[in-house]
Amino acid sequence: MKTLKKYFKVWWLMSKNSFMSVIYLGMGGIFFILGKVLRFLFFIFFLVFLLKGTKNLAGYDLNQTLFFFLTFNLVDVTSQFFFREVYRFRSRVVNGDFDLVLAKPINALFRSLLGGADLLDLVTLPPLIIAVVWFGKVLNPNTWQVISYLFLIINGLIVAASFHIAVLALGIITLEIDNTIMIFRDVSSLGRFPVDIYKEPLRGTLTYLIPVGIMVTFPAKALMGLLSPWGIFSSFVAGAVFLVLALKFWNYALTKYSSASS
Amino acid sequence: MRKYLGLFKISFQQEFVYRLNFIMWRVRNVLQILVAYFLWTTLFIGGGKIFGYDKNQILTYIFGVLIVRALVLSSRAIDVAGDINSGDLTLSLLKPINFFKYWLTRDFSTKALNLFFAFFETLFLVLVLKVPFFFQTNFSFLLPFSFSLVLAILIFFFLVLLIDMVTFWAPEMQWAGQFIFLAIITEFLSGAIFPLDILPQALQKVIYFLPFPYLIFFPVQIYLGKLALVNTLGGIMVEGFWVITLSLIVNFIWKKGLLRYEAVGR
Repeated sequence: MKTLKKYFKVWWLMSKNSFMSVIYLGMGGIFFILGKVLRFLFFIFFLVFLLKGTKNLAGYDLNQTLFFFLTFNLVDVTSQFFFREVYRFRSRVVNGDFDLVLAKPINALFRSLLGGADLLDLVTLPPLIIAVVWFGKVLNPNTWQVISYLFLIINGLIVAASFHIAVLALGIITLEIDNTIMIFRDVSSLGRFPVDIYKEPLRGTLTYLIPVGIMVTFPAKALMGLLSPWGIFSSFVAGAVFLVLALKFWNYALTKYSSASS
Repeated sequence: MRKYLGLFKISFQQEFVYRLNFIMWRVRNVLQILVAYFLWTTLFIGGGKIFGYDKNQILTYIFGVLIVRALVLSSRAIDVAGDINSGDLTLSLLKPINFFKYWLTRDFSTKALNLFFAFFETLFLVLVLKVPFFFQTNFSFLLPFSFSLVLAILIFFFLVLLIDMVTFWAPEMQWAGQFIFLAIITEFLSGAIFPLDILPQALQKVIYFLPFPYLIFFPVQIYLGKLALVNTLGGIMVEGFWVITLSLIVNFIWKKGLLRYEAVGR
């Protein structure tokens, strides 16, 4: 408990520092937020107009399709809020500053993964959560479906965290981060729509191998009552497996760190 | 002319310096197209027409976008904002070469490379996914299509410069300006994500007052043969209007911006 409190305090301090650096952006920061909101609204409009013409997407009606999209955004924005520091990791490895992280009496993975929460994403989270609740209510879920949804969202964030850890580990070994993380984001953006729209073998790949389905589609399906208990159970198992594998990869990568330039 | 040809060659070689970056950029483009492909093929499972498009036309639209965006939306001139911020603009000003032609030539080099890759990506995807691609053979469509592409390239070039030049007055806007105008507004309002005619008529009318639909949507519509000759000519005239208007605005802002430029760090 004491350790947990210490880490929360450290996270709070690092987040405050990160927020202050964002405030320095001034108008630039406001325009970034505006851009994110615009992108979100454009997609919503696109889906609304599209489904007004077609009535359904792979059997899902407009409200369901919008809920998939909102769930994708919830997982995407929350993981970006927490894991933004990953985007800054490369320079630490390249110029040897990662030595300083390793020397500190705090877990190096914690510092590298959660060390720079993003204010710009935090600002967009509350309206997004309101929209998720609003559209979720329209789908009339029962208590069990809501609980399943919440736990599967947490599971989705664990999968997202696992991928970010794997990207960090790959960064130590190959010194390449920027493109890997953007590819991950592009692949995960396939979850804007339910994975049911993709054909095999892409659908299977997106469900289990690059588990966009587990991250995004399964939670939304659980809320709609379309996910079997086996589906829910296998999601949690997959989440745990991905986390363990990512941590093992991170530990392996640390042994390859060459402390270059320091 | 020779010096611009030399510049073109050097810029082309520079594109290979960050090869992984370039490959990843292309992979990202292909991923976007795959999402659109699967989305639309799912919608067409029942057959028929949606928003006036049959399956062949919409898939041609999607893969046409892959090629047209490689040609129109790839740009090196986005680096101008960074040059203004870092003071590197001074180096460009000292060179015995026209600033605008310099960046337009660099744009052409990156467009040539992107087009080359986009062509083979499209060919590969069309063959693997067995896409019923519609090959336009009618010269009366191909000629205005080519002409509209040239004008679209110029419109985008001036738009990029206009966004870059905001940095003269607001250095902190370097990335934010490009993000909001080039990555969000241009992507959506140009038709790069979806054909604009799925939108309500009233909204389409508003969008057509902007330069964005003429970057991707309009040229691809000509290619598909969806526009009557009078509409094609009218659209090309609007494109011409935007090229002239934007070039005048860019020239005006450029002169004002240079007065403001402090060559920070130089």
